[in-house]
Amino acid sequence: MERRVRDWLAAAEMRESLEISARRIGMIILALLFAAIFLKVSGYPPSAVVRGIFLSLTRDAAGTVRWATPLILSGLAVCVTYKAEIYNLGVDGQLYMGAAAATVVALLLPDADPFLSRVAVFAAAMAAGMLFALIPALLKVYLDTNEVVSTMLLNFIAALYVDYLVTGPLRDTSTGANLNASPIIPRNTWLPRISYLAPSSANVGFYIALIAAVAIAFMFKKTTLGYEIKIVGANSRFASYGGIRPQRTTLQVMGLSGAIAGIVGAVEVSAVQHRLLAGFNPDFGFDGIVVSLLANHNPAGVVFSGLFFGALKNGGANMERITDVPSAVTKIVMAIIILTISARAALPKLRQMLKRSARGDNA
Amino acid sequence: MSGRAEHRTGAAYAVEMLNIRKEYPGVVAADDASLYVKEGEIHGLIGENGAGKSTMMNILYGMIKPDRGIIRLYGRDVVIGSPRMAIEHGISMVHQHFMLMPNMSVLRNVILGRTPVRRGLIDVAAAKTAIGAIMEEYDLHVDLDSNVYQLSVGEKQRVEIIKALYRESRILILDEPTAVLTPSETNKLMEVLTKLKNQGRSLIFITHKLREVMALTDNITVMRRGVVTGRTPKSETEISALSTVMVGREVDLEIPRKPYRPGECVLDARGISALNSRGLPALRDVSLTVNRSEIVGIAGVEGNGQSELVEVIAGMLSPTSGSVIYKGTDITGTSVRYRRENGISHVPEDRLRRGVAKTCTVSDNLILNRYYQKGYAKMGIIDNRKLRDLSERLREEFAIKTPDTGYKLSTLSGGNMQKVVFARETQMIPDLLIAAQPSRGIDIGAMEYIHGQIIAVRDSGRSVLLVSAELDEILSLSDRILVMYEGRIVARLPRGETDEREIGEYMMGARSKDGEACA
Repeated sequence: MERRVRDWLAAAEMRESLEISARRIGMIILALLFAAIFLKVSGYPPSAVVRGIFLSLTRDAAGTVRWATPLILSGLAVCVTYKAEIYNLGVDGQLYMGAAAATVVALLLPDADPFLSRVAVFAAAMAAGMLFALIPALLKVYLDTNEVVSTMLLNFIAALYVDYLVTGPLRDTSTGANLNASPIIPRNTWLPRISYLAPSSANVGFYIALIAAVAIAFMFKKTTLGYEIKIVGANSRFASYGGIRPQRTTLQVMGLSGAIAGIVGAVEVSAVQHRLLAGFNPDFGFDGIVVSLLANHNPAGVVFSGLFFGALKNGGANMERITDVPSAVTKIVMAIIILTISARAALPKLRQMLKRSARGDNA
Repeated sequence: MSGRAEHRTGAAYAVEMLNIRKEYPGVVAADDASLYVKEGEIHGLIGENGAGKSTMMNILYGMIKPDRGIIRLYGRDVVIGSPRMAIEHGISMVHQHFMLMPNMSVLRNVILGRTPVRRGLIDVAAAKTAIGAIMEEYDLHVDLDSNVYQLSVGEKQRVEIIKALYRESRILILDEPTAVLTPSETNKLMEVLTKLKNQGRSLIFITHKLREVMALTDNITVMRRGVVTGRTPKSETEISALSTVMVGREVDLEIPRKPYRPGECVLDARGISALNSRGLPALRDVSLTVNRSEIVGIAGVEGNGQSELVEVIAGMLSPTSGSVIYKGTDITGTSVRYRRENGISHVPEDRLRRGVAKTCTVSDNLILNRYYQKGYAKMGIIDNRKLRDLSERLREEFAIKTPDTGYKLSTLSGGNMQKVVFARETQMIPDLLIAAQPSRGIDIGAMEYIHGQIIAVRDSGRSVLLVSAELDEILSLSDRILVMYEGRIVARLPRGETDEREIGEYMMGARSKDGEACA
């Protein structure tokens, strides 16, 4: 009897997940169709979008890996807090701060040991992201501020702070070029790229993202912190009745989330740009929300949805390269695709999530 | 059982549910169950939690589709696909958890779905007249302009009944309507229900309080495990017979206990004052002690400070003054976890809001007070297998009805959820067990079990602080009885030297006898 019930449940779960997958694939096809129609109407070959994406799945898989790396990490940063019913919309700001810290530390270590200097760069970035994420967390714990609002507003501060750094104290004056960027960081601090994917900027950060996904999955399944996060998210009154302090859990998940966001900044600086560049971040943080939602906030799922969005992003770049579609149109096409997919898969959940946070159930 | 139900003719049935079957994975919630409700009667539908009463009523109200079976209203076959259709058929349901919009006025809640309109606007005057007439006729008074969230539980229930009457329902389903009421409110409700019956309406009264069934109903249907196990006119049965049919064995609510020999003092609360969540004084200078081998019962109408008292002792609320001494140490400022580690267990009054996490698994709910402890976790890494073994052991020991502790807690009935709470809280071998409203919303079988657990804690030389709004429960379990009224202890009465009436008077504030702290 027990056995039968368990089998039945397993079968039902399987059916359900197949159904969800089928629905998501249908949605992707629909999204591509919308994009093609838009291209046709605008007078460009409608096949461009399919060709672009096809390329990013085949010959240019390296580009997909490059874009998937920050997207997976941002997705993980979001999913960590989501389980505790806390919504970190400030991954962008935290990754900017991480990038800034990474750059400063890298510039201070021109001749250090390559391994140690890379460790130092990443540690600094994680610390900076964590500290920046702790600001809204502390505001929430002590002043009951809604973190959805505070994290989002702090993004502007971080972005403008990076602008200030690269136009002021960190500006590269050596070349005379009029670029809002820091000097190139020393080679010993560069995170290696993946050699067989050259010449793309796909880098070792991808492995870091995979390890992070495994670590987060382990954290959820096998640690006391994971249990506490689950309980606080499910019913914070129950948690505090049982002696768990939800406030402490809030600080822990926000800190963790910020640290992961900091890694994104460090990867972008030390492996892709090799310098701090104004506006280097194309909203990875917000894409991370969609990545995490599409994966149902499951760390393993985040890897796949991150790869998928990486392919999309890269597909846009390819489309621009192989056709004469201007970049503005490409951006619109990609926006159409992301909107269509997230509208069905993610928006209801997003709405629910905002509603819950607005009610302030976690107080 | 044969496929077709015997079809009774003769008396006019308002509701016939014939051979209803509803199966969920692993459970048959209704198994060829048939229910016959006459016109102009109060029909008691009784059974333990999970017996299938709610399933039957949710089917009748169109919220669940049966796998099989026929529903007949006043002799005509009908298909009820949604609550809306049920309402059109003249069926109303007063749910245990009220289905009202808290931020809307009473008036708007009542007229929802049947709004009088004049020139495109809500005709407030007409609505008020119509509702006023109903309130007058049945002596059900509620302020129509106040918002629902401002109402007391009893008033909210009145709004639900007014709503049903306003819709001119002929069939009323009441799901455990007295569970949330004080004794006097219950009496009032019974009067209203009798009046409705005398007008020819049919009422289905779901409960597991057998005394009320005997007081109120005309005919009784008993369910157990999805099957109808008994069907009888009230006049031909009695409480003990009903409870035997309901539980499937004889129930003994008089639990044997060791003679009263209180030991050393475990809890000594001195002069506690505290504010409630709205910042108003809830406790005023409350002192009490609980000794080993005794159960101290706190009686009182809910909202007289009992909740705050429990929270102060459990460590979830800081008192504004006073101190909590536990086993000789002042623990006033310590954390919940410190107190739990030192042997204070707590069964909270609001099971769903505080006692469990519904969306988590049964196992997650069982391990809340242990998951981090030595033997189950090392350096923050949990030994999931050990915790699983622990929860499976608790499941067996406490007879929690679920095939596997990996199931979501929300799949359990109320009684089984309470067993989960008790399993978790009493397995720690507490020196002090705080049990608040331990039998709320659970059936006789589970109640018997839980009362047995409470007595077992006492008999093993540990102490229990029992808080209950049910006088029966207080009287049958407590060695000493304290009565709370408006944040104060107004009476201290020893077991056996008092009765329901005397306690009732103290509860209502009609009498007061300020006792001093005991030794």
